[in-house]
Amino acid sequence: MFIDIDCSQMKKYNQNAYGDYFVSKRYPDEARLVAVLSDGLGSGIKANILSCMTATMLLQFISNDQIPIRQAAEIVMNSLPVCKVRHISYSTFSAIDCDDDGNAKIVEEGNPEFVWLRDGEVLEPSYETIQSKTFKNRKMKVYKIKLRLGDRLIFCSDGVTQAGLGGGRLKLGLRRDGLIVLLKDKISENPEISSSELANYIVNQVRNIETDRRPKDDISACVLYFRKPREALIFTGPPYHQEKDKEYAQMFKNFEGKKAICGGTTANLISRELNVPIRMDTTISVGKLPAISYMDGVDLVTEGILTLTKTLEYLENGTLDIDNAAGKLVKFLLDSDCIQFMVGAKLNQAHYDPALPIEIEIRKNIIKKMAGILQDKYFKKVNVQYM
Amino acid sequence: MDKKISVKVCLGTTCFVMGSANLQELIDTVPAKYGDKVEVSGVPCLGLCSIDWEFSKAPYVKVDDEVIKEATVEKVLKAIDERLK
Repeated sequence: MFIDIDCSQMKKYNQNAYGDYFVSKRYPDEARLVAVLSDGLGSGIKANILSCMTATMLLQFISNDQIPIRQAAEIVMNSLPVCKVRHISYSTFSAIDCDDDGNAKIVEEGNPEFVWLRDGEVLEPSYETIQSKTFKNRKMKVYKIKLRLGDRLIFCSDGVTQAGLGGGRLKLGLRRDGLIVLLKDKISENPEISSSELANYIVNQVRNIETDRRPKDDISACVLYFRKPREALIFTGPPYHQEKDKEYAQMFKNFEGKKAICGGTTANLISRELNVPIRMDTTISVGKLPAISYMDGVDLVTEGILTLTKTLEYLENGTLDIDNAAGKLVKFLLDSDCIQFMVGAKLNQAHYDPALPIEIEIRKNIIKKMAGILQDKYFKKVNVQYM
Repeated sequence: MDKKISVKVCLGTTCFVMGSANLQELIDTVPAKYGDKVEVSGVPCLGLCSIDWEFSKAPYVKVDDEVIKEATVEKVLKAIDERLK
């Protein structure tokens, strides 16, 4: 199973920093994912620091594998200070440690209970309560659950469940029940909805509930969706040993999933080896990039380095809706879960001619950066193979 | 003349940064001038920049089998005219 995870957040009205903090880390080798959502006391910078510290420390504890999630959470719970003014703890948190087989351990301290959805129904798992040794009114819930294909887990901060509190329609706020209604409606309307879309939907709906659409607290919604992975392959650059062209072209052909080619020479190579003609658009450039071309059995064919450089820039800046070759490649990447790069190591001397008006990056470096950002920022599983 | 003249503009990385992006107007001007006697299209790469002896003469355009180095709109139109003579 692939774990599609994303978090959407909104700041409290008139604040310049998020008071909730979300971090997650994927471990491709262990097929494991750890994520933490923390809500800091108050709002703005103070809350941001508190939640950030809690979330990152907890993630560090768990991910180093030194301390199991339960003990790690207990240490944090026992050591979080109490605010002198309000006499409540400095931050609350939810943390999950799960793997591709669907085994998940979850701890919650102070945050609203997570929602577990399967086939449109909410499951109520049993949990163990652990009382803090140092603070009387502090306890955490520990869950050990087994997830199935199609399951979703939704974590949120109290900005979601308490939205609209005291307002006209919802005197007690949205509450967990209200959130469940929202979730069920949206999922029945769009059963395959991605985690990022669902998280954004929750946050926007919650904002609409608030008086004058001004959130009274920081809002965060984190969604995990356990589904079949969408595989994608990007073939870029000719192989270092030309005699291997055929072999690699066959691997490209046999790959099951979406396929893209980035590079003019590469496209010619695949076309020649697989005997598939290339068709061009009647345009030459779109938005300062060469136009895309078409090949049967390939989902996207673009130019190489320029398009990849621009794609990397879009991914870094979060510009995701541009209508040019790089924009199409961004969409191709983000619509996939497991991305494999086949990167040819052959260099074209002409690219390093000092007479060229712009500097052309080395393919390997761009792909390395792209793989990193796809992994860390967009939570994709990435595999790079050099050839 | 039965056979169409084919004009292929290289859209490989080198050619594109060396100016093939500026040949976009061929797509409009050529059909306007020559009707359906000439066909213009981009190609992913003509593979010419990587050959040493032609080094740094991009952008390249192919008019039928003739290679035009450091191509400009004028050079391409001239080459088409010669062929139509």
